[in-house]
Amino acid sequence: METLSTPARVFATTVADRRACAPGVVVLSLSAPELGSVTRPGQYVMAIPPGGERAGTALGIYEAGDGGISLLFFVTGSRTAALAGLRPGDALDLLGPLGNGFDLSGDPRDVGIVAGGVGIASVLLPAIALRRAGARVRLYYGARSAAHLVEAERFAGEGCELLLATDDGSAGHRGYVTELIARDDAPGLLLACGPSPMLRAVGRLAEERGLRAQLSLEETFACGVGGCWGCVVPVVRESAQAPSFPPASAGGSDVVNARICKEGPVFWAHELRW
Amino acid sequence: MVAPDLSVRIGRLQLAYPTLMGSGCYGSGEEYAPFADPAKIGGVVLKSVTRAPRLGNPVPRLVHTPAGLLNAIGLQNPGIEWYLRHDVAKFAGRPYRTIGSVAGFSVEDYAYVTERLAARDEIEAIELNISCPNVGHEGETFGCDPDLTSKVVSAARGATDKTLIVKLSPNVTDIASIALEAQAAGADALAVVNTVRGMAIDTNTWRPRLGNVTGGLSGPAIRPIALLAVYEVARAVTIPIVGQGGIETLSDALEFFLAGASAISIGTANFTDPRIPARIVDGLAAYLSARGLGSLRDIVGKANPG
Repeated sequence: METLSTPARVFATTVADRRACAPGVVVLSLSAPELGSVTRPGQYVMAIPPGGERAGTALGIYEAGDGGISLLFFVTGSRTAALAGLRPGDALDLLGPLGNGFDLSGDPRDVGIVAGGVGIASVLLPAIALRRAGARVRLYYGARSAAHLVEAERFAGEGCELLLATDDGSAGHRGYVTELIARDDAPGLLLACGPSPMLRAVGRLAEERGLRAQLSLEETFACGVGGCWGCVVPVVRESAQAPSFPPASAGGSDVVNARICKEGPVFWAHELRW
Repeated sequence: MVAPDLSVRIGRLQLAYPTLMGSGCYGSGEEYAPFADPAKIGGVVLKSVTRAPRLGNPVPRLVHTPAGLLNAIGLQNPGIEWYLRHDVAKFAGRPYRTIGSVAGFSVEDYAYVTERLAARDEIEAIELNISCPNVGHEGETFGCDPDLTSKVVSAARGATDKTLIVKLSPNVTDIASIALEAQAAGADALAVVNTVRGMAIDTNTWRPRLGNVTGGLSGPAIRPIALLAVYEVARAVTIPIVGQGGIETLSDALEFFLAGASAISIGTANFTDPRIPARIVDGLAAYLSARGLGSLRDIVGKANPG
């Protein structure tokens, strides 16, 4: 977590490709060779607004490689609409890569990736890394409807086993994605990214069944770099990911508010006290 | 032509550039080091520290609004003892000036924390945050009451000889009268202004969107409010003013200098693009050069009739 050793900086990128993978869901491919080569699975960028909009937009890094990165996002407001309006050749400056990313150490052999909605944007890179290391990867993927289950085939192409759920039953299981995680054959490690209610459910499930789980949290960001302390989550003080804070014996607390943008966005579920 | 002089003197504090990074908006400085040239800013006002540790407010602490940002962080900080032991040493040797920020809940708090913090060489000046709107009524009470402002500033003045900047609240009826009290009590400079109180409500859940219910609004939404405050304070006091509130561009910065600010503080704009402060400094130099002006001081207060 040492700031000075981070490869993060302001990158001036160029839009190489833009495609809509579903109505209102866009994948922007950005030419940024150096950024692509230093990105770790689960990291994100803060996109500097291209057209006079205010406040940066935090976006998970979907793909990363020698040529650059891609960003997958849902158009939900004026800032994402401005980004979705970019065309090949347009410039996009961004801060990145940011955050800690998923911890894939320890050579996990059987991993469940739990993605909800736009959370899919942050889990392709860990899926690829795990598959290349020979791990079994099951993707538990939930969304509102079949149309919102974007890019599932991309994960299948990487050799992930797909287990799908939709709110309306238009694809896969009708109900919550966490209901797909089998009681008798659950992966030993879960990596999850999606809306907070889903993440809380994954955390509860992991605790009940004694599974290890890493949750990539969402919260409203302002700076994205640890400067404003606006996006915190309570974690146990002993956590290695927690910032300097006095222990209870020195007037502090056993729980500290860690910055999701800086110490996270990925936290071990058992360290959270939310 | 020689480059225009952009340096500013605030009390005993000499700034190479007239740009401070606002307290609570720039972490402890190192968070932004990868993204903005530290040699191209005047100083960083650190996040406020209090006597006791504070966990801060529950999330959500932030709401983006059409032309600004609502925040209710709640002065999360490790408390002065831990801060002195673990954090302050890393502020040494920076290319910009480092200004500590002190918040409190009593006159004694302010005096104690000011004395302890200002005693450290790494801290080159103190900003008194007497105007935090996000810690109940206690935080802002000092900045909204002329008598309490006087007491707090006097107490802090007695605790240090270092430059003392007093950060004023816009949430008052007559900011000039508060400014005069701060000046009379020994302030070296005034930071004008802190955030404007506000709120937002979720129309689906019918609940306030901030965990703290109310927050402080920053960004361009408050710029005209802040500019008027600078203008009015400049007419009342003789000490320097650090103008702040939604400054994003050269033009915004010029307005504040012309209204009477000797320096400016940039906060929320860093969240849009950390390169903005350097861009403003370059723009100021070009603006002055184009008009044949040798110093930023040549434009300070020029919109303010004597």
